[in-house]
Amino acid sequence: MRSFRMPRFALAIPAWAWLLVFFVAPVAMVVWFSFGYKPGIFGTHANDVLSFDRYLEALSPTFFQTFTNTLWIGIAGTAICLVVGLPVAYWMAVKAPPSRRGLLLALVMVPFWTNFLVRTIGWQVILAPEGWLSTALQSVGIIGGPLDLLYTRGAVLLGVVYNYLPLMILPLFVAFDRVGDPLREASKDLGAGKARTFVRITLPLARPGVIAGVLLVFIPLMGDYITATVLGGAKGNMVGQLVASQFQTAQNWALGSAMAVLLILVIMLTVAIGGLLVWLVTLPFRLQNRLVLGEPEPAASVAPRSQEVAA
Amino acid sequence: MKQRSWSDVALTVWSVAVFLFLFAPIVVIILSSFNTGRLLVSWGGFGFDAFLAIVERPVIRDAVWVSIQTGAIAALLATLLGTLAGIAMARHPGKWALWFIGLLLLVSVTPEIVDAVALLPWLVLLGQDAGLSIFNDGIVRLVVGHSLFSIAVVSYIVRARLVGLDAQLEEASADLYAKPFTTFRRVTLPLAMPAVLAGFLLSFTLSLDNTVIAAFVQVSGTTPWPVYVLSALRSGLRPEIAAVSTIMLVLTLVALGLVALVLRRAGDSATQIARTMTGS
Repeated sequence: MRSFRMPRFALAIPAWAWLLVFFVAPVAMVVWFSFGYKPGIFGTHANDVLSFDRYLEALSPTFFQTFTNTLWIGIAGTAICLVVGLPVAYWMAVKAPPSRRGLLLALVMVPFWTNFLVRTIGWQVILAPEGWLSTALQSVGIIGGPLDLLYTRGAVLLGVVYNYLPLMILPLFVAFDRVGDPLREASKDLGAGKARTFVRITLPLARPGVIAGVLLVFIPLMGDYITATVLGGAKGNMVGQLVASQFQTAQNWALGSAMAVLLILVIMLTVAIGGLLVWLVTLPFRLQNRLVLGEPEPAASVAPRSQEVAA
Repeated sequence: MKQRSWSDVALTVWSVAVFLFLFAPIVVIILSSFNTGRLLVSWGGFGFDAFLAIVERPVIRDAVWVSIQTGAIAALLATLLGTLAGIAMARHPGKWALWFIGLLLLVSVTPEIVDAVALLPWLVLLGQDAGLSIFNDGIVRLVVGHSLFSIAVVSYIVRARLVGLDAQLEEASADLYAKPFTTFRRVTLPLAMPAVLAGFLLSFTLSLDNTVIAAFVQVSGTTPWPVYVLSALRSGLRPEIAAVSTIMLVLTLVALGLVALVLRRAGDSATQIARTMTGS
């Protein structure tokens, strides 16, 4: 060990170098492009005059609507994933027989690891106006004409909820599983009901899982390109498609780059604002909790973390 | 026997419904692969025509073969770089590791579409303006694109595994006069092995799945399978696409089963396996 000394990070140098060349450099180039402009019909980008004009152009009413649309789908999709996924994760971690947990997890992971594009196409087949779901709903009499959901914003919302739901369930499951039975039982022994135990004990302790799930769903969802392309048509446009079309069809790399940078900024800003809002809203609740619980609460939330390190 | 409360029943019903929801499109795709109709959406009858068509049409075979080649090479590369980086982060932590984790985080939160539009001009720059003709090769471009996220995933997994294991074994090995490289090969690497294998198989699956980056960086002639499907969206989806997807699903399930087996053998619980799979 002491005969020759390598720097501590020597083993990480290949990965560093690779990511610098194929991630940092190209992304930096896109940022650079975004300050340029499109010269004439045949050029894709030029940088001899630098300005913020492309950003203004990207936020002009034509494109701004796509940004708000994407943000709407992102927030609504994440919220629905949380509402749908939380009970499932709780059931898997707490109510389902422990011997079945491995199987249930595998079942959640199968769609997660099935080709993203293909399962989205599966929805296209299901939602098709001439498809069997449409026929079935019509024969029962729930809808009058053929199903009119495909190529709308509703279809995109359904698609993103479907595609990102496993990313919500898995971290929530891990978090609920880590809370463990003893604390819940103690709470019930001390006279708290089911709902009270869930709201005051289980949910606060599972908070890291909730945060992880929301981030894991929201961030990739905002940059989604495939779901909107397959299910959205012209009505359910998202920023990912806008960026792609600037590079592929419009050949305006400067504008496309500005949109890409804006997309990243919108994602970061929304996460920051969302985090701040949650922090402010739960502030009185947490202050009250601290008074009631005193010492045990920090101790209880530290314990699972040390387990995590040991695991 | 205790009566089950209504809330338990409601939870169970809800969960079963969500599982059905999760499997609905997959079941539809599997059923569609036995569709003898001309288009995916209209049912013509039951038959194996779609599977036969795969054998007959070289375009589909070539696309799948490109995907498998790319997946294998990208997974090998990501595993090599990610394992070394993961070991470095776990065993030689320091200020640099924080910067490195920051970079990995950045790689994993950047939307794929941004990577895609950034890599396209960059690879053109390297391949044509800088004259590095290797970057004009279709497989090389795909491997570069697919490796980014996988490197981050492998690094996380390997680091998480080694941080959990005490460094005493390595110290003992050094005390017994093993050279650093011997310690690395005989102690550190075997300890990290389950995570390395899991990382490899995950990277392979991620690469098979990659559509967005692949669609941008591909050169005609080496079109990977998902990009072929994406282009088929415009010209009409035929049942062959469902048939290949069914085969790919079976392959993915086998790969995932192997990962779970490897991790279980290494003594991980179901929860830990879930954490490894999601890279957290």
